[in-house]
Order: sequence, then structure tokens, then C-alpha cells
Amino acid sequence: MKKINYGKIYTAPLTMWITFFFVIPTSIIFLYSFLKKKLRGGVLWEFSIDGYTALINQSFFKVVWFTVVISIFATFLTLLLAIPTSYFIARSKRKNLYLFLVIVPFWTNFLIRIFAWISILGNNGFLNNMLLSLGIIKSPLMLLYNQYAIIVVTVYTYLPYAILPLYSTIEKFDFSLLEAARDLGASKLQSLFKIFLPGIRSGIMTATIFTFIPALGSYAIPLLVGGQKSFMIGNLIARELKVTMNWPLASSMSVVLTVVTTIGIFIFLNTNKNKSELKNEN
Amino acid sequence: MKKNVLLFMVLSAFILSGCKDGKSKLYIFNWSYYIPDTVLEGFEEEFNTKVVYDVFESNEEMFAKLRAGGTGYDITFPSGDYASIMINEGMVAKVNRDLVPNLKNIDENIIRKIKYDPIMDYSIPYMMGTAGVAVNTKFIKDFPKDFSIFEREDFKGRMTLLDDMREVIGSALASLGYSVNSVNESELRQAKEVVLKWKKNILKFDSASFGKGFASGEFWVVNGYAENVFLELDEDTIKDVLYFIPKNGGTMYLDSMVILKDSKNVELAHQFINYIHRPEVYAQIADYLMLPSINVEARKIVKEIPTYTIEDLANNEFKEDLGSNIELWDKIWQEIRVQN
Amino acid sequence: MRTNSGINKRQISLVVFVSVILFFYIPLLVLILYSFNSGKTMVWRGFSLQWYEELFFHSSDLWSAFRSSLIVALSSSFIATAIGTIGGIGIHWYKFKWKKYLQIVTYLPLIMPEIIIGVSLLIMFAWLKWKMSLFTIFLAHTTFNIPFVLLIISSRLDEFDYQIIEAAHDLGAKEIDTLLKVIIPMSIPGIISGFLMSMTLSLDDFVITFFVSGPGSSTLPLHIYSMINRGVFPVINALSTVLIAGTVLLSVSSKNIQKYMFK
Repeated sequence: MKKINYGKIYTAPLTMWITFFFVIPTSIIFLYSFLKKKLRGGVLWEFSIDGYTALINQSFFKVVWFTVVISIFATFLTLLLAIPTSYFIARSKRKNLYLFLVIVPFWTNFLIRIFAWISILGNNGFLNNMLLSLGIIKSPLMLLYNQYAIIVVTVYTYLPYAILPLYSTIEKFDFSLLEAARDLGASKLQSLFKIFLPGIRSGIMTATIFTFIPALGSYAIPLLVGGQKSFMIGNLIARELKVTMNWPLASSMSVVLTVVTTIGIFIFLNTNKNKSELKNEN
Repeated sequence: MKKNVLLFMVLSAFILSGCKDGKSKLYIFNWSYYIPDTVLEGFEEEFNTKVVYDVFESNEEMFAKLRAGGTGYDITFPSGDYASIMINEGMVAKVNRDLVPNLKNIDENIIRKIKYDPIMDYSIPYMMGTAGVAVNTKFIKDFPKDFSIFEREDFKGRMTLLDDMREVIGSALASLGYSVNSVNESELRQAKEVVLKWKKNILKFDSASFGKGFASGEFWVVNGYAENVFLELDEDTIKDVLYFIPKNGGTMYLDSMVILKDSKNVELAHQFINYIHRPEVYAQIADYLMLPSINVEARKIVKEIPTYTIEDLANNEFKEDLGSNIELWDKIWQEIRVQN
Repeated sequence: MRTNSGINKRQISLVVFVSVILFFYIPLLVLILYSFNSGKTMVWRGFSLQWYEELFFHSSDLWSAFRSSLIVALSSSFIATAIGTIGGIGIHWYKFKWKKYLQIVTYLPLIMPEIIIGVSLLIMFAWLKWKMSLFTIFLAHTTFNIPFVLLIISSRLDEFDYQIIEAAHDLGAKEIDTLLKVIIPMSIPGIISGFLMSMTLSLDDFVITFFVSGPGSSTLPLHIYSMINRGVFPVINALSTVLIAGTVLLSVSSKNIQKYMFK
């Protein structure tokens, strides 16, 4: 009797779903990026690299650059806040309560969180009103609708995503290693950079990926708090799709965004691997 | 566990409570704040139907949505340029004029201006207007009454322009004395420089919240549709507002109602269009929007004084379909938007 | 010296922790506070419940959007959990031809920017001439929920011993019996976590939904977006308060939810 391969049966729905609703659509984007645009939506079935040549201009590079810089800044700030926070939670006696405090904003609707910042930072927002009534400033500060607002809101949005994985690795970290290092004469900074941070590497990695990638693909945040000079790649893609209807261009931009993301992850995973190899050699 | 089951039952009950009746539905896709709720409710009641109402903020957005799977709407409200595109692209159904007797109420002088559909075969005019500039005179005393107000650095960060290239570049073209439908590259380049000068001083390009932002005092100078601004004002604040249409001209539009080709409710759609042009209904709309009536009978019964009259639009020019030249516009608009 | 440095690290992390918590909660508290403001702007004009009245009695569109959200969240979480659980079991314990492909491809949606998923589905649906509706939103949500369910299920499966299954087989249990009576019951905590995670993601999603929604199929996030976009501020404050309160109540009242979400 031939043995039935249940693995195939169990994974059949999964395979079909992911193929049909993920692999095929992303392949279509790739295909469309090499077709000719049809005026007012759709494509002509002719090979063309117009979608890519249209990208070779200053304004597109500017947008890509802006997107990458914003994302790096936001990720860096997020980690800077998330690592000590997770450390504190992992070492405290009321872990569950503190974790709960982190999870409530994570559960709060994404748009509501953006909106909260709009009402705080606006020209007539909470902060300006406070400062005005306290007499600290004479005319409202322009806090909203600029790149700083994008960074603040991005950090605010993704911080819980960074804290949770960091917390779970720090919790597993063996703190006696730090003591051992100090006993062997390592300085505070040395033990931080050589023992602690490498030790929680996987958490840092997950946290970075959970912050950096959504930041690269941002759409709603720059749209709502970015003002007039804050176009990110996501906004450009959406515009080509929903306003100018240049589908091949929207597709080629999506391909570029995917490539930038992949490169980002790759560089990151690689530097991390090198570091860990170095550590092993030592 | 019991608690979870209970929660699940409450959720299901809530979900199911929404799918009760077998009433017919009319799907309308319209500009935001363009029909008062009372008018829609009146229609629902009289025709025992349910109106499903979605909104858009620009012609381009509406058109793209319809093109990419947004089928299922019965009626939409394109401006003239897009009405003509949609007719040429075969996206709209022919209107059966016998079912819309109230057409006779529409001002013939206005119908005469429609080049793309002169006998209302496909599109029935809804409202005529322009995107001018609203200024909050409480904060701003002395200013030029044209688009050069956006060059004033002292109002920096308190001004918004529409997020609509036909409007913004069109206004820039008009301020240079060119046609708002220009497809001449050098004219468009000059217009781009003008818009960039404005862009430096504005807070953002915004077609959605400028009315509310203006009313709350967040923005002091907004480029936009008068009705969106005035709808938000109360008696206290309205006296501090000056809405102007530049004397040197600008864009204007005639928004029409069209029945989409894949409409499943053609008869109801006709009834809706006819209902809109019933004088007492149209007067309600004109009063709500404070725009000039294009319905002759309704003019006799409107109560409000419109923000501007049709005569005020004498120097303005209708936006027309630019054909494939739209790509040049797209390119220039993109340069404007991403330039820092 | 050492005790000193220990205190230092503690103090720094305490300061950061407290600032992070303030950073998290001040915006939410401001929203809650101003939902009781009688004025329309962020200037305090006195206590009032008018925005709640507006929210509960004059916002039927909002509630129908909420209903759409629930329909999509429940159905997509249900299907995603079913497909993800059974698929996860298959990937975890069996060898077959396209296993490698599956292992790579199923995790890609996790690291792909959301907007790419939205754009690609929009283009495909438009190509197939499918009508955008709650159904297309359901398809999209199921797609991005499946990888999360897989991730959670497989970490749960990691924890237990394959020998139990072999034992069941040795005792003569049929495959289907092993699946229904041994594997699935053991995975229940993972299945519940996966379902809850899917519900959360689905109720929260804006970007992907934005691309694949159609006539009359606004979900709650889309509706909130249009409210923010059009500047309908005070009502959003009230809505935010209700949503935050709902979240907190739900998680405090049910120990189970806490248990599954913290894992």
C-alpha cells in the first residue's frame, strides 16, 4: 500500500492561497513594470522599460533618499528607546503590568494614534495652546506637517513592535555573563557593547525589521502629518495608481521599494552575521 | 469560556442586525459635502430605498477608483473635463430624457456652454462653481485679492492649496494670463515656477480638510470650494471671512450627474436625477451649498444669497479634457510635489 | 563601584521607561480629555457629552463601517487560522516536494511593506475585473493574516514532542484521528493566539484595505481615515475614547485574552 503524503494534503490550501493571493499578484506587478502604460489606466501588452526610465530623474531619487533617511532615523530612535525600556521591564518585578501598559497603545487603532498627534502638534493643537497660555511662546510653533512630525509619529507607532521582541530576548539573557565580564576586568561600556548587545542580537534584529520595513513603506503617516514637502515612496506609488493612473510606473516603483527593502534586510542580516562570527572566533 | 460564547453572540447579533431589509439600494459616488443629508433622506423616504453614499476629493481619484474595480456605483458627479472623458471612454449610460422631465428647469444659457454633451445625452448638470480663495480677515487685514496672496511670507504655514493639479496649475496659468487648459510646455514651466513660489509658504496641499481647518482657525488662507468653507462656519465666524475669485480669471467647473454603464438600478438613478432638479429640492441644495442655482425655477425660491453669482465667473474658464497632454501636466505636477 | 554602576543602569532604564510610558499615554489622555470638551477645537470650553451623543446617535455610517470591520475580521481570522493551523502542522512534521518553496514564500508577506501587498492585489483584482467589495477586503486580510498564524502555530508546535504522534500512530490511530484528537487539542493555545492576533491585525489594517475597498464597503479604519482627512475632529476624540476603553476593558476582564496575547 502506498503511503499517502499527508504533508501535501495539509499544506494544499495554504499553498494555493499564498500562490494565488501573494505570489501571483506580486509577479503581476513585476510583469506590469515592463509593459507600456495605457492612457487613463491599465496597460498595453507591449514590452517597454518606460516604467524604469521614468524613475531615472532627480525627483524620484530625492523621494527614495528622503524615505530611507526618515526610516533610518525613526528606526534608530525606536531602538534607542526600546532597548532600555525592555531591559527595565525584563528586570522588574511587575512584568505583566508593564507589558500590559505597552500593549494598550499597540492595540489602539493605528489611525487613532496618528490622530492623537495631529491634535497635539497642530497650529491650534494641545501643545501650542498650552505654551501660549503659559506665556512661553507668543505665536504658535509649526510642529505638524513636516519631516519631524513623520519621525515622531513613526516612532510612536512602531515602538511597541520593537519593545515586545526585545523584551522576550532580554528576558532570556543570562545576566551572570555581565558579572563575569566585569570580574574579568571589562569596563561598563565594554560589557555593554561586547556582551549585552550581541547577546540580545536576535531581539534587536526583529525589532529593527518590524520598524524599518513598515517605515520604508509608509503611506498613511506622511499623508496625514507630512505636509507639503513630505512625499515618501509609498505616497508616490499610491499617487501613480490612484491619481495619474500610470500602472507600469506604480509597478516599477513597487519593484524598487521591494528591492530597497530586501537590500536593507540583507545588509542588516549580513553585518549581524559577521559580528556573530567575529564573536565566535574570539 | 461562557464569557467568550456570550461575547461571540453579542457580536453576531450586532453584525446580523445590519442585514435586515430587502430594499433596493442606490449607490452614489460624490464629492464630499455636496448634497445635504436632508435631501438624501427625503429621497430615501419618498422612493422607499436606501442610498449608499461614498465620497471622493478629486476627479482623478473618482475616475481611478471606477477604473480599478470600483464598479457597482449607479451615479457619480464628474466635472466637465472628466464627464467628457467618461463619455468618450464609454463608461456612462445614455440618459432617457423622458424619465427626467425636470430637465426643463435647467438654465439654457448654461447648457449652451457644454461642448462635450450639448443636448444632455449622457450628463445632467448639477452645479457650477469655482475654487477661489477664502481669507480669515480676523488675522489678515491687508492682502491682494488674487493668487499672489500665496506669495506672502507673513502668512507662511497658515495657507493651503487644493491637492488638485487642474485647479492649482490652472490658477497659476490664469495668473500669468494663459488659458487654464494650456498644453504649451513653456507656459506650463512658467506656471510651475509660480506654484513653487506658493508652495514655499503653504502648509500642505489639501482637498479634504481645508474647510474645517479654516473654520477652526488652523488655516487662515485656503484655496478651495466655497461651500466646503462656508458649511463649517457659524454666525459668529462668518463675518470674518472674505471669499474671493481672482479678477484675472481662473478655473471653473460644471459638475454633472452621470449614470454609470454597469448601474443595476437605472430606473432609480433616473428618478434620483429628476428628484434633484425638482425646484424645491434643488433650492434646498443651493441654499445648503450657498452656490448659484442653475435651476431656473429654484432661483425663485432660494433663501440664501449665494457666495458668488454666475456673473462673477465671467472671466473664468471651464476645465477641458486635455487628452494625452495630461501626461505633461502629470509630470509637471509631480515635479512640483516632490521638489523641496 | 559595581553596585554604583548597577544603580546607574537601573536609573537610566527607569528614566527611559517612564518617558516611554508618558510618550505612549499623554497623546491618548489628551484625546480622552478633549472628547469631553464642549468646543470644537483644542481650546477647553467646558465639560460636555455632546460628541458622545453625536457618536452614538448620529453616526450611522460609522457604525455600519464598524460592522463591516467585524464581518471581515471574524471571517478572515477564521479562514486564516484554519488554513494556517493545518498548513503549519503539515510544514512542521512532514516532508514533501514544495516544502522549501512554502517555507520561504509564506514568510515573505511578513517582511514585505504593506503597500506592496495592497498595490499588487489591487492590480490583480482590476486585471481579473473583480468587483471591489467586502469580499476582496476579506481575501486581502486573510492573505496577510495567514503568515502570522503560521508563525504562532509553528512556535507552539516546536514546544512539543513528535514522539507523542508516533505513539498515537503505533497504537493504531488513523491519521485523521491523530490530527483531531492529539495534534489540534495540543495546539489550542496557539490556535487561539493566532486567531486573536488575526482579529487585531484585521481590525487595525488601513493601508491594504484602502487599496481593495469598493462601493459602500468602508471598514472602521477607512471611515476614521476619512473623518481625520475631512477634519471631523471632536467626534473622533469620542470614538477614540470608546475604542481605548473597549480595548482596556476587554483585556482586563478576560484573563484568557491576556494570556494568549502576551505569549
